Amino acid sequence: MLRMRKREKQKGNGGDHSSEIRNRPLSNNIEENLKYLREIFNNCSDVVFREFLLAQREQIKLAMIYIDGLTDKTRVSEEIMKALALEVPMATSNTEITKANALHYIKMRGLCINKIKETGNFSDVINAVLSGNTVLLVDGNNTAIINETQGWEKRSIEESKTEIIVRGPRESFVETLSTNTSMLRRKIKNPDLKIETMELGEKTNTQVALVYVAGIVNEGLVEEARKRLSRIKIDGILESGYIEEFISDNPYTVFPTIAHTDRPDRVAAYLLEGRVAIMVEGTPVVLTAPSIFMESIQTPEDYYERAVFMSAIRGLRILTMILAMTLPSLYVAIISFHHEMLPTPLLLSIASQREAVPLPVFVEVLFMEIAFEIIREAGIRLPRPVGQAVSIVAALIIGEAAVTAGMVAGTTIIVVPMTAIASFTVYYSGSIAFRTLRFPLVFLAASLGLFGLITGLIIIVVHMASLRSFGIPYLEPIAPIVPGDLKDSALRAPWWAIKRGPNLMGQNNPRRAVPGMKPKPPTVNKRE
Amino acid sequence: MTKKLVCLLLILLCIFQSGCWDRRELNELAIVLAAGVDSTPEGNIELTVQIVRPRAFGGGAEKPGGQPKENNVWVVSQEGRSILDAQRLLEKKVSREMYWGHNVIAILGEDIARDGVSKVTNFFSRSPRVRETIWMFVAQGRAETVLNSHSQLEITSAQAAGFMIRAGTGIPVMLKDLKMMLASQTTHAVLPCIGLTPSGSPQGVGMKENIAEARGKQEDSTQVHAEVTICGTGAFKGDKLVGWLDISETRGLLWLTDQMEKGVITVPSTEDPDRQISIDLVRANTEVEPFWDGENLWFDVKIEMDGTLLEQQSMEDLTNPQIYRTIEENVSRAIERRARQCLEKAQYQFEADILRFGEAFHIKYKGEWAQIKDRWDEIFATADVNIFIDARIRQTGLETKRALGE
Amino acid sequence: MLEGGKIDGRQAVYLSITYIMATALLGVAAITTSFARHDAWISSILATVLSIPVAWLVVKLSSLFPGKTFIEYQEEILGKYLGKITGLIYVVFFIHICSFMIREFGDFIMAAFFEDTPILVFHIIVVAMGAYTVRHGLEVLARVNQIFLPFIILSVVMIIFLTIPELDFKRLLPVLDTSPVNIIKGSITPLAWHSEILALAMIIPFLTKPDESGKIAYKSLAMVGFIFLIVTAGSIATFGELVAFMSYPFLNTARIINIAKFIDRLDPLIMVIWLAGGFVKITFFYYIAVLGSAQLFKLNSYRPLVLPIGIILVAMAVAVGENSIQIAHFLSHIFPVYGTFFQAAIPFLLLVIALFRKQGRTPK
Repeated sequence: MLRMRKREKQKGNGGDHSSEIRNRPLSNNIEENLKYLREIFNNCSDVVFREFLLAQREQIKLAMIYIDGLTDKTRVSEEIMKALALEVPMATSNTEITKANALHYIKMRGLCINKIKETGNFSDVINAVLSGNTVLLVDGNNTAIINETQGWEKRSIEESKTEIIVRGPRESFVETLSTNTSMLRRKIKNPDLKIETMELGEKTNTQVALVYVAGIVNEGLVEEARKRLSRIKIDGILESGYIEEFISDNPYTVFPTIAHTDRPDRVAAYLLEGRVAIMVEGTPVVLTAPSIFMESIQTPEDYYERAVFMSAIRGLRILTMILAMTLPSLYVAIISFHHEMLPTPLLLSIASQREAVPLPVFVEVLFMEIAFEIIREAGIRLPRPVGQAVSIVAALIIGEAAVTAGMVAGTTIIVVPMTAIASFTVYYSGSIAFRTLRFPLVFLAASLGLFGLITGLIIIVVHMASLRSFGIPYLEPIAPIVPGDLKDSALRAPWWAIKRGPNLMGQNNPRRAVPGMKPKPPTVNKRE
Repeated sequence: MTKKLVCLLLILLCIFQSGCWDRRELNELAIVLAAGVDSTPEGNIELTVQIVRPRAFGGGAEKPGGQPKENNVWVVSQEGRSILDAQRLLEKKVSREMYWGHNVIAILGEDIARDGVSKVTNFFSRSPRVRETIWMFVAQGRAETVLNSHSQLEITSAQAAGFMIRAGTGIPVMLKDLKMMLASQTTHAVLPCIGLTPSGSPQGVGMKENIAEARGKQEDSTQVHAEVTICGTGAFKGDKLVGWLDISETRGLLWLTDQMEKGVITVPSTEDPDRQISIDLVRANTEVEPFWDGENLWFDVKIEMDGTLLEQQSMEDLTNPQIYRTIEENVSRAIERRARQCLEKAQYQFEADILRFGEAFHIKYKGEWAQIKDRWDEIFATADVNIFIDARIRQTGLETKRALGE
Repeated sequence: MLEGGKIDGRQAVYLSITYIMATALLGVAAITTSFARHDAWISSILATVLSIPVAWLVVKLSSLFPGKTFIEYQEEILGKYLGKITGLIYVVFFIHICSFMIREFGDFIMAAFFEDTPILVFHIIVVAMGAYTVRHGLEVLARVNQIFLPFIILSVVMIIFLTIPELDFKRLLPVLDTSPVNIIKGSITPLAWHSEILALAMIIPFLTKPDESGKIAYKSLAMVGFIFLIVTAGSIATFGELVAFMSYPFLNTARIINIAKFIDRLDPLIMVIWLAGGFVKITFFYYIAVLGSAQLFKLNSYRPLVLPIGIILVAMAVAVGENSIQIAHFLSHIFPVYGTFFQAAIPFLLLVIALFRKQGRTPK
């Protein structure tokens, strides 16, 4: 994998000329410009230099520079070249096109391109070419025209593979930033939706967008986000995860303080609550900040289905998360230390099973847990052809053979898969923390029983209570208790009941639903 | 920073490395289900325990066929100077550590009971593993004999005894109740009596039945199975056993102490005294009110009972309110008879207030109680008891009256 | 400012409830019953009533010196040298009773659940957790407590509720059977526990609304009084006067529960309650000891003191008593006087002196 290196000054050829390029202006002579560009793009065989003449004017030379593969070739041919090479309509037939006014006529009357920009320095030109735009140089002018002709092969908008819901939109983000921002625009049709772009990564110059809804979001939060982003100095940003590590409040913790998602409806919902989103070109995963603990167990479907039902489901999710974290350790603790907790018939049944098994409980549990983690990780990486066969073998080995061979007791076989399944009731990203934590808890439970388990839980809670995400306490609204926000934490109050935006983030959005929106059956007008 | 991590690591390692002191694998434990205490001629304690044999329960796989679980407990005895001493010596014979957390019952042998039970109850209450909800019994004879039995219906005879007493056949006494009774200044203790009685034949392998046609073609057809049985109540004065109450008197005791939960009262029919009518108890309530005039003590006992008539051997017409009322009165008298039987024994034979009347007195006359509590036994023995019973039969099951000749 | 965090009124109430009630819960019934017999529940109510003036005292005293903690304003009242000496005495007092709490904590867990484990393990673990939390500051502790306390109270109420089949309130009769002297004697220990509300004076400056401190104190005392009452009454209703001879009556009460043969054997639940509550209480007193000493020595931050005080606590927890009978004796005979003296009598004296010297700001 790439090694992260801070910015280095390289010596020698083909090095980092960025500071030089930045300030070098274009010259009037097209040949000079072209020569310089050819040097820069030395050995880049996909950069195309196309020189041609402006609409039958022999003296005005034009040149297009673009990268094959990043541009939409039809548009380049039709809208730039054809438009300029064939005919340039003029206002009056008397005016002559000279080198001086050529640029003006090309821009105003010749080019059929929908979006252009002008620039006078090379760094913009190079950036533009690399971004998939076509740069048009006009002889006799030191201004180049950048035409937006981006068009490359990209993945179509598909359903999200990791964040699945039953009811709701199925779109998920793709790798192209402009498509992603367009999806957000469709959801929030408001000029207050601000998209600030910047480039991060010394070598990769990746486009990163900071998105927020002005008026709802806390200005201080936006400022903080901008500050943290601009502090990043690294050679390349390939995925939003790189950024996440740089701007996290506490990079060592297992709990994510910055959420990530690839669903536009989720991002839009967060933006409306007063969060900011960070989108990165080249990855469909978008970061949102601040992120509190409650988010990691929520899904957008909570807001689409009926409130009562989803409140129960949320409660179930919290329960299963706790179970996923503590069930193996609880099992170990009870079987090794607190035998009186079990009802006698159950105890006798388990005791008879344990007669047959040589290993102590916690070794068994650990063994099974590790085995499951191996299967899970392998399952993600499995090439499709072998998937089927391998999963059958794994199931057989763990399930059948281990018990029959006497390595693992029957009850352990129940506990471990239940834990595993329980952890999948929330999205993968939210469950990572809990699934990691169950291992230390098993060790604690194995040494000190329920006392150890509770100690571990207390330490985890203390740790979570000390976390902040961009200034918001991580455990809000449970601790500190913010009564208004409790309606949207473990329960989900119906939309007509949520009158205020989340207190610490969306103070500027005091009214989400106007009071009095609770549905009522229509009253009968008695007068008639 | 590194130093702190190293310190933390050392602390953690210490916790894990020194061994998990209290960790016990299940197959290191000898799970005790029942305990019995007898005394030996030399004055020592003999401890008998029923230990579960987990292997007999089978592993995860099902074992078809109802094999009787005859060998699913192991009963072993040991003599020692105290119970804890005996337990320690028992560990020479038992390969695992004794685990009292699932102990269900404790049986005190008759000899120990006559000597004084306070000698042995302290073990059960101080030990943190032994729960104060265990059922206490006194055995007629030796506790060891009772424990050496097995149950046909339950897994072990310990559980059978526990369930039986919980159902209300005898007077239910948990360890905490026993302690409270022993500590009370007026009430004396009672314990249910447990013994073994023949109860059918063992339904052994292959279900050999003891039927005439099969006689001669089977072996083991004359074996008898002995099941634990509640056979009454043992009455104590102080902490010493002084006598027994039989089943009928035990019912009286239950009535008087408001502990009647379940039962059947059978009375002869009014028209045909050879035939019986049985009433199933639904609800019972007793209130005791003491009266004291400075010299004389008397009690008013009000018993209320609701019952369902569930069996009628005779043919009388229940829809006749006269007859109905007579049956109810018979029931009242039957109850009163039992209560009086118990009272007689308590007052005249034992001179011990096993009926908790003293506590009722204390509540009503707190000043006087302080003065006379030391003489309570004598005063109680001379007290008059008026019993007022209101027995009602509320339901008659699915039939009203019987069709003639049916 | 040594402590940057702020806690709001609700968090303060929760915190106060926990740090008074947590370790007392298990043994209070036994101690009160040993004096007042089955009228112990009256003692409990009496203790709550008597603690209201103590709370008033603490709040009034602190309102004269807004923005300063108890240790800080002692210097103002008594002058620089005497004030520092009494401040030091109080820091030692906090450490002393904290080490008692740690000892109680470890004793109970060892006695009831883990017989073979050396008690030092529990001491070290709980102090280590406390140190970790103290370093994060008061806010974190308050938040953690907010998560645990509802669960603790719910469990306590549920346990009492589930023992209803075994409760016999006749065991509480006759009322006022014991002499009033004994009833008063029985109420002194719970009073000493209630008086721990003094610790509130150490955190009043960190409340978002310091004027609320009166309401906070009264609410907490009411809640704690209620819990003590139901625990005491429940224990007596279950066991009668035997409660006086038990080490941990609430544990025994919880063990009685048997509903439908299924909800049975709940004693590890007690351990959870004890652990969570005890942790908060110990950490809180640990925190005020650290804070107090940092203020005494005018340090910039209390961080460096955390570990040394922690080690002192662990060592003292072992040293305060040789065996559990001594600890029990301390709690029932010495702590009532000792605690009340430091937590009620001396503050009263301080208030008198402060008013006499016309010090401090009169509250609006």
